[in-house]
Amino acid sequence: MMWKSIVYKEWLKIRWFLIGYTLLGILGIGYLFLTVKHGFAFSGGKNIWNSILFMGHQFFSPLKYVPLLGGLTIAIAQYFPETVNKRIKLTFHLPLRENKALLMMHAFGAVSLLLSFLVFFGMFTGFSLLYFPVQMVTDSIISIFPWFLAGFSAYFLVALIVLEPAWKFRLFYSLVGGFFLTIYLNSPVTGAYDPANSGLFVLTAFLSIALLFSAYRFRKGEM
Amino acid sequence: MNNVIECNNLTHYYGKKRVYENLNFHVSEGSILGLLGKNGTGKTTTINILNGFLQPRNGECLIFGENTQHLSPRTKARIGFLIEGHIQYSFMNIRQIEKFYSGFYPNWKPAPFWELMSKLNVTPTQKISTMSCGQRSQVALGLILAQDPDLLILDDFSMGLDPGYRRLFIDYLREYAKAENKTVFTTSHIIQDMERLIDDLLIIDFDGVLAQTSVNEFMGSFKRFDFVLKNDKTDLKKALFVENLDKVKNKVELYTYSSESIVKKYLDDNNIIVSNFAQVKMGLEDAFIGLTGKY
Repeated sequence: MMWKSIVYKEWLKIRWFLIGYTLLGILGIGYLFLTVKHGFAFSGGKNIWNSILFMGHQFFSPLKYVPLLGGLTIAIAQYFPETVNKRIKLTFHLPLRENKALLMMHAFGAVSLLLSFLVFFGMFTGFSLLYFPVQMVTDSIISIFPWFLAGFSAYFLVALIVLEPAWKFRLFYSLVGGFFLTIYLNSPVTGAYDPANSGLFVLTAFLSIALLFSAYRFRKGEM
Repeated sequence: MNNVIECNNLTHYYGKKRVYENLNFHVSEGSILGLLGKNGTGKTTTINILNGFLQPRNGECLIFGENTQHLSPRTKARIGFLIEGHIQYSFMNIRQIEKFYSGFYPNWKPAPFWELMSKLNVTPTQKISTMSCGQRSQVALGLILAQDPDLLILDDFSMGLDPGYRRLFIDYLREYAKAENKTVFTTSHIIQDMERLIDDLLIIDFDGVLAQTSVNEFMGSFKRFDFVLKNDKTDLKKALFVENLDKVKNKVELYTYSSESIVKKYLDDNNIIVSNFAQVKMGLEDAFIGLTGKY
């Protein structure tokens, strides 16, 4: 029953943000492929292929910051209300272990983000296969994968920052986190992240529990 | 009688600023205890330590025998906690918030919550963020009553409430606590409210505990004597029985636990000539200010 209540609360906080973000993302991806279709119709398939294969053009580059924006949006929608008037105290007072409560909240946010990303990913892959060969689609997926990881990392980092009780630590985390996120968004070369993706995945997985440190500091009364 | 709360040798500093050192107190089962103190004497610090949101530099607090730094979920379920300002999830409406909390407490009793809500002029779908401070206080109180805890910890429950809501809050809470044999630990800036609510008091100052006793005992033993000194240079502070002294020119307010005869004997023995000597009846607020001083 407790996990149902946690899910209920988190859903109330993020639902409109999640729905709004997902709808905007769907529209954005739809528009992206409308542009691709437009390019094929007016520039011709040969020219499009040429620009992608030999000139390094990434037709999917407008998607670069979409997952990042999602991670930021969901994290702020979920965690900001917890810090207004130190409302997180209410969560810590619930009759379950503090870390367990936080991880349940966190898991809900991450899964919501994942579902939204899966919709985008499915749309992207499906539409891409309509216009491009499998090899080119695979390379595109390798390229956008770290962008989605950046979305999750942004979500985890914002949770760490928002729950941190001391402003100077928040500032420090923000600066370090900002630089850290650029790791995911570096290379403009399609498929270049192939050797790095598994490492980035592990790094992102480690970041997922970073908020427990802020929660620990909050409970110790750090200011 | 069992102690529900027990704090031993509690010491805390914010940086180099001492809040208190070796503070000891306890709260017995079934009592309503008010923690009184001026600003900065550590009331909220104590509440935070009790709820596990602050680690004291030294000492410990136990609630139902468990260290408050590591309360088990089972013990937390027995504690109702009202955050200063009646903070709740303001993005929820009252139906949603009742549904949310009911999932955590096996003994959840929705009736007291809805009974209180029926007294408010709000709809079940009205968001808490759109309610007045008084209405929010009733939501927070209703949730605690529905939780049916054995111990209620209330941090400055009167904050932001108008006299009507304060009275409603106090009367409802006291009746509930007495009928159900609940233990209450509370702070408030408004001492008149405390007078109406509490059985026992704990007065802390920058030097530690000034008094821990029942309100009746405190009010029966702590006295104020007013008089006018013939010589306004007379220094009464060295008298051992003086707890506090407020002197403006030759008019004196003397606060003490000693009897009128002891005070008069001291004045006579020291040839201190006074006029208009009288014991002044005090309320709890007067006695609190008398003990702790105005500054």
